[in-house]
Amino acid sequence: MLSEEQALRHISTGSGDLDSILGGGIHCKEVTEIGGVPGIGKTQLGIQLAINVQIPYDFGGLGGKAIYIDTEGSFMAERAYQIAEASILDTFDNFGCQLKEIPEKLKAESFLANIFYFRICSYTEQIALINYLDQFLVEHKDVKIVIIDSVTFHFRQDFDDLALRTRVLGGMSQKLMNLAKKFSLSVVLMNQVTTKFTEGSFHLTLALGDSWSHSCTNRVILYWNGNDRYAYLDKSPYLRPASVHFSVTGKGIRDATSQCKRVRMM
Amino acid sequence: MASIPPKPENPLHLHTTKLTLGCPILDSFLGGGIPCGSITELVGESSAGKTQLCLQLLLSSLLPPSLGGLSSPSLYIYSEPPFPLRRLLRLSLPSLPPRPLDHIFVRPAHSADDLLSLLSHLPDSLPVRLIIIDSIAALFRSEFDNTPRDLKSRSSLFFKIATKLKDRARKLGAAVVVTNHVVDVVEAECGGARCLWSSGRRVVPALGLAWSHCVNTRVFLTRSEGMVRRSNGEECEVRTRRMHVVFSPCLPERSCEFAIVGHGVLGVG
Repeated sequence: MLSEEQALRHISTGSGDLDSILGGGIHCKEVTEIGGVPGIGKTQLGIQLAINVQIPYDFGGLGGKAIYIDTEGSFMAERAYQIAEASILDTFDNFGCQLKEIPEKLKAESFLANIFYFRICSYTEQIALINYLDQFLVEHKDVKIVIIDSVTFHFRQDFDDLALRTRVLGGMSQKLMNLAKKFSLSVVLMNQVTTKFTEGSFHLTLALGDSWSHSCTNRVILYWNGNDRYAYLDKSPYLRPASVHFSVTGKGIRDATSQCKRVRMM
Repeated sequence: MASIPPKPENPLHLHTTKLTLGCPILDSFLGGGIPCGSITELVGESSAGKTQLCLQLLLSSLLPPSLGGLSSPSLYIYSEPPFPLRRLLRLSLPSLPPRPLDHIFVRPAHSADDLLSLLSHLPDSLPVRLIIIDSIAALFRSEFDNTPRDLKSRSSLFFKIATKLKDRARKLGAAVVVTNHVVDVVEAECGGARCLWSSGRRVVPALGLAWSHCVNTRVFLTRSEGMVRRSNGEECEVRTRRMHVVFSPCLPERSCEFAIVGHGVLGVG
């Protein structure tokens, strides 16, 4: 059945190298967390995935739609348009197509219209929306990815009761895992980074605490190595940890172009 | 209890309005100007040009949209008194409405809690489409020690302030500009923050990693002094000012030179 095959497909990140350490791309039916410092490319990757999920089935994609939940206000339509244009052109290039007339549904405008964009301004709005998604997804079965950028922002204000925060986060992550499985879609959660003082010095660590680390199936950490962007597969049920150099370009997320790009297996 | 389900928006209808900086080179550098609906941080050492740029924006927001303005009043919240009135009076832009100062609301903020209270009590009827906080760093200077608890409560205040600002930005379609200072980098590792050179010092924005997560766009203003040999063999000192995009939702990392001239901040092509 087509939907079963679709569920086995991965969503390309735009970088073949990054896709390969992820086992082909972002997986459906799973929750993937993407963490990193500001400016490393979390939002760029989120937008790229919201576009790439729409690549038609005949061109190796899922032909699906996207839900983009923006909690920080970093989603800019012009950038999404730029990424959509480049993704469409590169897809045709890869398939050696020279369409005289690009069909309406394969124009950047259509790709933008296929993103259900929600702007969330508080943690209560965030919880309410996630609770509502079940109903929304029943009415929009073509959605194949839910992106929350970032899942963290509204939870970093004072929760007077830390135990309450842990419960709320736990409930939210359970709901998201259930949605991923029930609707055979990908859930991608952007997370921020904080410093933790352990063993006498400060270390960078993902935000939301230790209990949150169980909330995702896969975890990718984006980081700087000098002036180069790297992605590290930190958690996966069946893939080995590995890191890869990638880049953020005018076209979106792409392979690194330098001569010395490396895929390092740990 | 009946609740209205949230309605998604179509990104095709989500055009980002940009506020002109009053200079075509700088506007082009920033992809049209300062974006509305999000927080732009201007960070740099003292006298880098942050306040000058802010004052220029107070005026450019009064321009009509056809000239890149917002036809709206603005709110300037300052934390290091006095308000730079003299510098504002020296600025001018063509096509300003009469009595521009009547459209600029000015408030002091004495502490982080003061700022939070100010933002919480802004009347919804205040039609400002530019909110400037100059500077955010001064509000956090002396109040907090470096104990883990203080750092946590400081960090929590960052997110509360940023949430209020983003809320206003979203509801009013306002541009929010926050200025920040720099601190010297002590260790070899910058630790997540991109550091830049300014006046011969390696510096990072103040307020740390948590605050970095609160802004959408970071623009770094730097200064450098160098010696240049003239054609007649004489050496003279040249001061260069540069504006760097450190991170942005839609711009690549890049930098451009600018100058502060009597009547304003101008890009150097």
